[in-house]
Amino acid sequence: MRKVLSFLAVGSLLFAACAEDNPTIGGTGTTSTGGTGATAPATAADCAAANADAFLSPGTLTVGTGNPAFPPWWEGGTTDGSEFEFNDPALGEGYEGAVTAEVATRLGFSFPDQVAFVPVGFNKSFAPGDKDFDFVLQQISYKPERDDAVDFSDSYYNVNQALVSAQGTSVADATTIEELKEAKLGAPIGTTSLDVITEQIQPTQEPAVYDDLAQAVTDLQNGDIDGIVVDLPTAFFMAAVQIDKGVVVGQFGAESDEYFAMAFDTGSPLVECVNLALAEMTEDGTLDAIEEQWLADKTNAPVLD
Amino acid sequence: MIGGQAPGEFEGLPGGGSTPPTGDRGSKILAPLKAEGAGGVAIAVVSTVVVFGLIAFAVLTSSGWPAIKELFFDPTIFWDSLSKIMEKFSRNVFIFVVAEVFVLILALILAVMRSLRGPVFTPLRILAAAYTDLFRAVPTILVILLLGFGAPALQIKGVPHSDIFWAIVALVLVYSAYVAEVYRAGIQSVHPSQVASARALGLSRGKTMRFVVVPQAVRRVLPPLLNDFIGLQKDSALVGVLGYQEALRQAQITSAAEFDFTPYVALALVYIVITIPEARFVDWLVARDQRRRQAAGGV
Repeated sequence: MRKVLSFLAVGSLLFAACAEDNPTIGGTGTTSTGGTGATAPATAADCAAANADAFLSPGTLTVGTGNPAFPPWWEGGTTDGSEFEFNDPALGEGYEGAVTAEVATRLGFSFPDQVAFVPVGFNKSFAPGDKDFDFVLQQISYKPERDDAVDFSDSYYNVNQALVSAQGTSVADATTIEELKEAKLGAPIGTTSLDVITEQIQPTQEPAVYDDLAQAVTDLQNGDIDGIVVDLPTAFFMAAVQIDKGVVVGQFGAESDEYFAMAFDTGSPLVECVNLALAEMTEDGTLDAIEEQWLADKTNAPVLD
Repeated sequence: MIGGQAPGEFEGLPGGGSTPPTGDRGSKILAPLKAEGAGGVAIAVVSTVVVFGLIAFAVLTSSGWPAIKELFFDPTIFWDSLSKIMEKFSRNVFIFVVAEVFVLILALILAVMRSLRGPVFTPLRILAAAYTDLFRAVPTILVILLLGFGAPALQIKGVPHSDIFWAIVALVLVYSAYVAEVYRAGIQSVHPSQVASARALGLSRGKTMRFVVVPQAVRRVLPPLLNDFIGLQKDSALVGVLGYQEALRQAQITSAAEFDFTPYVALALVYIVITIPEARFVDWLVARDQRRRQAAGGV
């Protein structure tokens, strides 16, 4: 359907296409708030300083993410007094944790003292009304049709979807998409993983759509489904930790243009500031280093086509 | 989640020896206007227009309305999602119709078990009471989750793995507990003199129950039975938690894909459209029952 639009933006055209979708991207200097003057802020810190009163609580960066905070996106374990399960985001560990810490620092906040984390359910991240976060990041994929409800940042992670299963299932040894046609597959709700099943694999059996990964894993171990489609780093985590005899069967779409983006309230001037920070991080190699640190062994899987 | 009233407290249910209510019990919203005449109608029209007008004005001029309008009432998404939702809604219909058949049977057995007199039936009474206590206490969604994910994990040969099977089992277990109480209230409402007369005529206890008590009880509790049926119908939306793609899960999928809540509005409308005729049918049954009882001068 409208998903087709996202396939039009390929490779280097990616950021250009995003800029078209979102006029506040790209530092063109046409932000809606005053104080920035006629010229665009040169750095993320300048941008944040010029928009200091655009933050939910000035002086603090308020970041939303899902609870529990799943590895490998968040790591480090829980801490006393934190309401987050599995991992405390304030530790700044895991891929999204490290990205958040780096973005916060570049915006001029000291991490973790001036950064507050709030748990945000998936639906709540795009519900209308006042937001209780400056931005939310929880492996939300950019899609053009989602653009009406929130404003998206540029990519902080270019993601591929993957199939994870358990040894002995009918798909565990599959090497092509053709071999998945008869399989009963599952995906978490609200993910582009489901699109991969319905649009790329098109299996004969209807996919199961779960509220969370734990339920999908239960059904996989019960033999009710043959495999689960999730993003690739999550697939590695599930195969290693959650699934008994888990295997990452392979990844989809080598030429996929899917990426994770932070979501902001519509019209937020902070999108530009975060995009500047992300651009700086891409340029000086910080983003690659973070990926190397947290996801190095979690992105190498055979391609299913 | 459960739409039913507390069984036994149902308004329209006649108590054993109490006098039947007289006059219009006011089940019709517009009925009072008949007595008021033209002036009353005018006041009703004005007050209705003012109240609803004020509510509409407050909503439409609120600062959040444009966002709400876009995220809850997007016409394109509405029509797109409605056709998908309608397609999946047939599965909900299958779930609640099949479940209702088993609920009506199982609940009647439970109610009769609990209404049995005589010391020898004590274990049956305890069993029936424990069952209704248990399944009225546990939230429906929990029963669905526990059975849907738990039962297949037992890996017992021959035990089905299908989501829809366990969902129907869970709904039957929960709703038969409610409906058993409704039946029991009906059975208790049959005047003891009826039983005494039947016994005097030489009917056994079993035959008295079967030919005298149960037929009257069931007729009396038809409205609350329909009430619970509507509750069951709505709770078929819980089945999606098992990963099964019923109408609500379909709405959630579209909603999450598009970041838009319009599919929920579309599904709500589907439920309203099928439930309103049922509610009016219940009203009509209650009214008919009242007329009959008044015509007969009580029980």
